[in-house]
Amino acid sequence: MSRHTHGLSEWLLQRLTAVYLAAFLAYLLLHFLFQRQHTFQEWHDWMTHPAMIMATAMFILAVLVHGWVGMRDVVLDYVPAIRLRITVLSLIALTLLGCGIWALRILLQASG
Amino acid sequence: MTTQRSAPVYLNLLRIRFPVGAVTSIAHRISGVLLFLSLPFLIYLLDLSLRGPAGFDRALVIVQNCWFEAGFTLICWSLLHHLLSGIRFLLIDIEQGVTLQQARRSAWLVNSLAPALTLACSWWIL
Repeated sequence: MSRHTHGLSEWLLQRLTAVYLAAFLAYLLLHFLFQRQHTFQEWHDWMTHPAMIMATAMFILAVLVHGWVGMRDVVLDYVPAIRLRITVLSLIALTLLGCGIWALRILLQASG
Repeated sequence: MTTQRSAPVYLNLLRIRFPVGAVTSIAHRISGVLLFLSLPFLIYLLDLSLRGPAGFDRALVIVQNCWFEAGFTLICWSLLHHLLSGIRFLLIDIEQGVTLQQARRSAWLVNSLAPALTLACSWWIL
């Protein structure tokens, strides 16, 4: 990336993921509004529908990107000491990566 | 160096003006960080709920027990505030509601709607 455009792609990425996250959350809210109670079987069948697996996997990826850009912004604003900053950013990256792998694995296991 | 700072530095928090939009904005940050911190807990619940009927029931019990105690309400508020203020920011990005009056009104709306909907969720979950 050239210096000139630095930060613009993050800005755009944050908004694109935000739109998807909001749309998915709106769908979840509407679903639970119309069907308040679930049995395990209903919940499992709904979550493991191929379209839902795809949409949820995309949601997880969007959370990772959105969370990374957002947490990075916060750290860049409040943690000026460079070594601490790198440490905190690494911890955040590892946490997000771990959460992403864990969540995708749950989806795979539930569908398989 | 004889340059003078033209911007006053108020370290007295009571003297800092904190308009309603600033509250929405800082709460967007705080709720975002809280959501990040609650990710492992939420994924754990998802894991439990999909493991089988027993895990599903256990996940429900955890959510209901944690509603007031372990801050599940806080997670719920965080999600709602982050979502609502996020939509507000996106609208402002595409130049909707940018006048001071509109922006103040939407900030008030977001700040009060998030706690109100959080309360509504307790009816839903408990």
